[in-house]
Amino acid sequence: MNSHNNVIQLDNVSKQFGKKQAVRQVSLQIAQGSITAILGPNGAGKTTTIKMMLGLTSPSSGEIKILGLPPGHKQVQQRIGVMMQDVSVMDFLTVREIIRMVHSYYPSPLDTAALEKLTGLSPADLNRRAEKLSGGQKRSLNFALAMTGNPDILFFDEPTVGLDSETRRQFWSQIRTLAQQGKTVVFTTHYLHEADEVADRIILFNEGAIAADGTPEQIKNGMTKRTLSFTYIPPLNGGSRESAHTENDETAAAANQAMIEKLSGVDQVLYRQNRCILQSQDTDALIRQIITMQLPVRDIRIETGQLDDAYASMLNNVKEEQ
Amino acid sequence: MSMLIAQSRAEMIRMIRNVYFVFWSLLMPVLFYILYTRIFTTDAVDAKEWNAHYLMSMTCFSVMGSSIMTLGIRLVQERAHGWVTYLRVTPLPNSIYFGGKMIGQTFIHLCSIIVIFTSGYLINGVSLTFSQWVSSALWILAGSLPFLALGTCIGTLRRVDTASGLSNALYLSLALLGGMWMPLNVMPDWLAQIGRWLPSYSFGNGAWSIIGGGVPQLRDILLLGGYLAVFMLLSTYIRSRQKEA
Repeated sequence: MNSHNNVIQLDNVSKQFGKKQAVRQVSLQIAQGSITAILGPNGAGKTTTIKMMLGLTSPSSGEIKILGLPPGHKQVQQRIGVMMQDVSVMDFLTVREIIRMVHSYYPSPLDTAALEKLTGLSPADLNRRAEKLSGGQKRSLNFALAMTGNPDILFFDEPTVGLDSETRRQFWSQIRTLAQQGKTVVFTTHYLHEADEVADRIILFNEGAIAADGTPEQIKNGMTKRTLSFTYIPPLNGGSRESAHTENDETAAAANQAMIEKLSGVDQVLYRQNRCILQSQDTDALIRQIITMQLPVRDIRIETGQLDDAYASMLNNVKEEQ
Repeated sequence: MSMLIAQSRAEMIRMIRNVYFVFWSLLMPVLFYILYTRIFTTDAVDAKEWNAHYLMSMTCFSVMGSSIMTLGIRLVQERAHGWVTYLRVTPLPNSIYFGGKMIGQTFIHLCSIIVIFTSGYLINGVSLTFSQWVSSALWILAGSLPFLALGTCIGTLRRVDTASGLSNALYLSLALLGGMWMPLNVMPDWLAQIGRWLPSYSFGNGAWSIIGGGVPQLRDILLLGGYLAVFMLLSTYIRSRQKEA
């Protein structure tokens, strides 16, 4: 990956909507021919970031370059294809008529026959009014429209929402073929498995900032830490679990805290009810330390987090914060 | 150029296929024409002159309606449905998008004029000189400009419901107060005074002057030009404000 084949470049891009900071200090480069998934929960800033790349909204600060030009530049528009969320098609026109109209917008478009084929629609459906198509068919038409200008970069915002699994599979197989032809694909999704299966890079967004960026493998490793958890043996006889704020409990908590701090190789400590959960890359080493130090703990469990669980818990955290 | 042709062509097809448009712009004026020249007739007015006068009124009524309502509501719809967002990421320039709409509208206005003029001829045998037919048609085409500009103002609204309500109210009150349904001189004096300053009155009055054997008055031309400028400025101002937001 050198800077020559980066087709998308964001430098310190932020976007503020009133008091809400939708995107914070995002910097990234996207290489030509790659399939990049922008993954994150709703409200993470994915769509806003895509919209800024498309020139639909301008960043409050920072700079964006698409193919070396500012977004929204005519030469950029001629070389990108876009499929947005919730875009209906122009009414009172047949599929063929819409394709012919959009065809006229581009300097070197694919020919209309190829585009009609891309929609996957039958000749009868091609002559139907586009607004009368089913949701999935409209999506196929939008895909064909995105391809009209034979674009170098394709942007898809939540492309597979509402599609059945077969259509979804076909869609992604088309996308892979396009990437093999050297086209760059950027899509947003909140399905982790989709990003994992299709993309060769995942940029994870959370609260408007990049939370992680890497290959699906790297992201998965980063998200599925092993955890070791245990409950404390009450250090003092009087320390009842029901009364939460007695002096004894506070002393006990402080003692526990001190114990845990002595352990090495702990990445993160979480407390859930009476359990203390330690995240670590090496839970075997942790258990050895706990035994050697004779920590007053019981019911020790070691778990490998499921990827989906880890992602779901991240989504939940975000929702709680909102 | 091919972009503008394709865009205009698509707009024309869309208008013709729109039942709503056909009803409001063609059927309604023709029905009104039949109603007020064949059914509710009075002997007091010169029937021949009235038939021609009211034919102009109804043609203006039709063209004004399609300019304000069809254009305005469709602009709002296309934005509400995300179509405008899609177009903004394509190389289609905004000017061609609007240009296509204006050409489509003008084509449709021409159709309205032909249909309504023809029905006037068939229903009441309205007879005008060739130059009167042509110049009144041209006047109506040109005079629709301020109403198209008003349509683009309506087109800046966010909700289709609001746009539809507002454009209906504007359209019907402009038609009534501008003397398109009944001559201003049968209205109370104060109402007629207001009516004379409305663009709809000047629009109709130009056509009435032509069929009366005269030419449109300078006052009407200036008033329509003034309204055109005001509505264009207003529309441009709102659009630039919305872009900033």
